[in-house]
Amino acid sequence: MIRTDDAIATLLSHLTDAVVFQADDVDDDWVHIAAELNEAFVATRPAAIDGRPVVYIVSSDALLGRTGAGNAMVATGLLSAARTLAVEMAKSGVPVNVLGVGDDAPPSIVAAWVERLLEPGGPTGELVQLRGAQIGKALP
Amino acid sequence: MTVGIVTGAARGIGAAIAQRLAAEVDRLVLVDLAPELADTAVEISATGTEVSPVQVDLTNDDGIAAVAAALHDEPIGMLVNNAGITRDARLVNMTEADFAAVLAVNLGAPHRLIQALSGRFDQGAGIVNIASRAYLGNFGQFNYSMSKGGIVGLTRALAIELAPRVHVNAVAPGLIATEMAMGIPDDIRARMIEAIPMKRMGEPSEVAELVAFLASARSSYITGHVHVIGGGRSLT
Repeated sequence: MIRTDDAIATLLSHLTDAVVFQADDVDDDWVHIAAELNEAFVATRPAAIDGRPVVYIVSSDALLGRTGAGNAMVATGLLSAARTLAVEMAKSGVPVNVLGVGDDAPPSIVAAWVERLLEPGGPTGELVQLRGAQIGKALP
Repeated sequence: MTVGIVTGAARGIGAAIAQRLAAEVDRLVLVDLAPELADTAVEISATGTEVSPVQVDLTNDDGIAAVAAALHDEPIGMLVNNAGITRDARLVNMTEADFAAVLAVNLGAPHRLIQALSGRFDQGAGIVNIASRAYLGNFGQFNYSMSKGGIVGLTRALAIELAPRVHVNAVAPGLIATEMAMGIPDDIRARMIEAIPMKRMGEPSEVAELVAFLASARSSYITGHVHVIGGGRSLT
């Protein structure tokens, strides 16, 4: 299940068993925020059941609350949920990770890092941030 | 006249926070869905602080409007978003209804309450959102840890948006000696305590002390952060 920007989805279209979920931009209306988080739940649960790897893609700026409350709640909510699922799936060795990206991240770089974070035996429960925009800022 | 608001104030950590905040404000608006709220309100008003209990469900518009109405146009000095529920299960067994219910109470209600009250905060006011150590990840709590992670993001966004008038922080308690913790089977609770470097549960009054500081103007240079109070459990 690949739900990302089109350019990234095209690059990842060969992945058949992974869940890659990119947070959509939301406003501050709770109905929209809840709908986005619910979509993540619906997309992720089958992966938990079948033991398939998961990567969430979120905005680095949203993690720090720079782009409004709605985007912040979705980004940090997904990060915490990924950490919990990583704990639940730890014994199986199936990874669950989060990729933090800036608006200008080239789709090819994003796709390459998604693939790395889906590899079994690699990191799990981790946040990897592309570029250095978070250096010196709050730890998520 | 300064008003403080505490949600989830009937029992446990919320009741302890309400007790502690009574010394900091002229009037407390205490919110909870549980009928025990009335007893907590009576207990606190015996200390001399005026208490206005509001027994409502904060997941609907009427509940939020009732809290706003209880302010009587007085400025808010402190707001503590503490109300929360759990519906634990591994993600493989979690229902969509249990997922949505936890998100609505733990994340939607505080977000919508702050939206409804924004513009009514006093200069130097403090907002404290009660998260949980589980925002770092916790087995069987996909919904709960997502809601508590979400409240960390909400805290950061509000810290930026409401500055310099209001400072906003999150407090993330670990294992605290509440009814909820005492409901954990004895042997499991003993193992949990063994994993805590301080070798004990935290007291609700200890969380209340941290919350009182972060909600007060004494901490107005601290904003947008998560303060974990868990006896060192996040290290082991």
